[in-house]
Amino acid sequence: MPSDTLEAPAAIRELSYAEAAREALAQAMEADERVFLFGEDVGVYGGAFGVSGDLVHRFGTDRVIDTPISELGIAGAAVGAAITGMRPVLEIQFSDFVTLAMEQIVNQAAKIRFMFGGKASVPMVVRLPGGSGTGAAAQHSQSLEAWFAHVPGLKVLQPSTPYDAKGMLLAAIDDPNPVLIFEHKLLYKTKGHVPAEAYRVPIGQAAIRREGADITIVGSSIMALKAQAAAERLAAEGISAEVIDLRSIRPIDFTTIAESVRKTHRLLVVYEGVKTMGIGAEISAMIAESEVFDFLDAPIIRLGGADAPIPYNPVLEKAAVPQEDDIVAAATNLVRRGEA
Amino acid sequence: MPVEVILPKVDMDMETGTIEAWHVKEGDLVRQGDTIFEIGTNKAVMEVEAPASGAIRNIMTETGVPISVGTPVAWIYLDGEAGNKPPEPAATAAPVAAVASRPRTSALAATEAPAFATASGLRATPLARRIARQHALDLGTVAGTGPRGRIGEIDVRRHLDQRSRCAPAEQARSAPTPIASTSEGRLQPFSAIRRIVASRLSQSMSTAPHFYLTSEIEMSAARDLLGRLAARHERIGAPKPSITVLIARIAARVLRDHPVINASAEGEATRFHERINIGIAMERDGDLVVPVLRDAGSMDMPAMTREFARLRDGMARRTLTPAELGGGTFTISNLGMYGVDSFTAIINPPQGAILAVGRTVDKPVGRDSQIVLRPMANFTLSSDHRIVDGVAAARFMADLREALESPEVLL
Repeated sequence: MPSDTLEAPAAIRELSYAEAAREALAQAMEADERVFLFGEDVGVYGGAFGVSGDLVHRFGTDRVIDTPISELGIAGAAVGAAITGMRPVLEIQFSDFVTLAMEQIVNQAAKIRFMFGGKASVPMVVRLPGGSGTGAAAQHSQSLEAWFAHVPGLKVLQPSTPYDAKGMLLAAIDDPNPVLIFEHKLLYKTKGHVPAEAYRVPIGQAAIRREGADITIVGSSIMALKAQAAAERLAAEGISAEVIDLRSIRPIDFTTIAESVRKTHRLLVVYEGVKTMGIGAEISAMIAESEVFDFLDAPIIRLGGADAPIPYNPVLEKAAVPQEDDIVAAATNLVRRGEA
Repeated sequence: MPVEVILPKVDMDMETGTIEAWHVKEGDLVRQGDTIFEIGTNKAVMEVEAPASGAIRNIMTETGVPISVGTPVAWIYLDGEAGNKPPEPAATAAPVAAVASRPRTSALAATEAPAFATASGLRATPLARRIARQHALDLGTVAGTGPRGRIGEIDVRRHLDQRSRCAPAEQARSAPTPIASTSEGRLQPFSAIRRIVASRLSQSMSTAPHFYLTSEIEMSAARDLLGRLAARHERIGAPKPSITVLIARIAARVLRDHPVINASAEGEATRFHERINIGIAMERDGDLVVPVLRDAGSMDMPAMTREFARLRDGMARRTLTPAELGGGTFTISNLGMYGVDSFTAIINPPQGAILAVGRTVDKPVGRDSQIVLRPMANFTLSSDHRIVDGVAAARFMADLREALESPEVLL
């Protein structure tokens, strides 16, 4: 169920995205002693982006474990712990560093259930702060979610709101298989309503953030927010945009996208990862292959990251990923039938 | 993807260039490096080579007109792409009419490429194709207004709308005409206004049985009056009155006594209009536009002259609202200033009559057993015989003559 369809509480309880994720971790650790945290500086330092915060003081160093700087080592340890029945939640300090842990995540975590005929499983969660916009240059700013969405056996999530940051993290910890959560660095300080109880946001369900008739804009993570802001501006120009927040890249909620495109006849996919061979290509192809093809009244358009490493220069950094203006321009062009 | 052929920058400070001549024509197969057109700058004429090999399509045919650097002037469809193959000779005859109705969406997408309209070469969105299938509609008959002439949902819907609105006209149009089977001449798609005019007038001619009464009327008194009015208007600061406005003023007054001329056929009934709203046919950029003098029956000359000036100004500036262009109950069309002696006009539906005014010219006429010269003009009334009979129209014309020949009596 999309988060925005829940009934509004009597009083809005506001938390930041980072606080919401921390609350999810605390509630999971309280409810299940098999849950523990693993990562660089997650302990007394509280995590590079402050997500684990004071958890080490509440749960002790046995359950909030500062690791050496070896992504391969900690990912391997997490896989081992998960196979033996623990519920590790691993933090990769910057998602870029996950390259070092690829063997454990792609060749081990994703494959073990299948190679052992279901006799073993890997219930681990990997949290990965990603995305650009902080001036951290090419090795600390990537959006690598599409890499993992290519691997059968992995689930890949991209929550965009504090509500989803908590609810999806709790759902991921419950999941008996490996789940990767890409958290956008620019979202950690954004605030929003977060209920106090331990609720779950089902994996694999997109949210329709705004209903519209003229064009469907699909995005996830921070791009879902930019798409919503763009939709506001488009509305002022008389263009009614439907905004879908994917929330889950794999499994992907194709039904929601298809139903929307069947209604609006136009599709714009926005994502921060490199455009080429990205999420947008997959969504475009799914629509083009499906019977919704017959309902398209314009080419499908992708807005993705530039085919270049994220630049350090802040002006270029911004230019390298889709911005609100780009979304407004592309959507206007599509609806007004400019040369596409 | 087809390869775009753009107007290249062949000179350092060049911003625009003109196509002097094409060396290829629509559908020709070209090799990369072949000369395809000549470009003129303010200094020289240079040859431009094909950027790829394939079939040349969507040639921008205007030559000698300045075009911005970078503008696409043609497309090259690579081997195997839709539209690459030249059409089969047999296929050209039938779908031609189709092509004839495909407009250029802009100067850039200009095409005079009849051969391009084979079913596979059409540019249409999947949704447009789907709707066309559902309605058994040949997409070749639909005008595409999208990028490079692409047919979209809106084009198909518009076409279907039109087809249902003027079904008889559609039948006539769908018959292939041999004239359209050549690619000669310039094909200009209808403007929005022209589309409306075409559809309304066809509807008028096919539903309202027209008949015509012509009277030759002496204009001496009207001319005198116009001169005096001009002086008076100048004194009170009103615009100079024109003969058209004076005729409208007098016609409005006469219509008061002839409600059946100021009426419309409505199903099997006659609608007598309370107000007299006189439309004046005008021309703007080649389009027929008919602004309406509202409640003309109760306006005096200065008021009507001012209103007429306001409408004419609004028309030129394109600020008239649909309300100011609709709601007429009677129309006057004056072509006298073009030297036309007399003509018959088509009724502007749902009105019941239209008055066509020819030029005023000095003619020998008999007065008191003498042949004298008098300024004379032909007035022709077209009436809808469903609601107006010959005698009723003749009475109106008689009163109109009397009013024009002694306007003081009425005004």
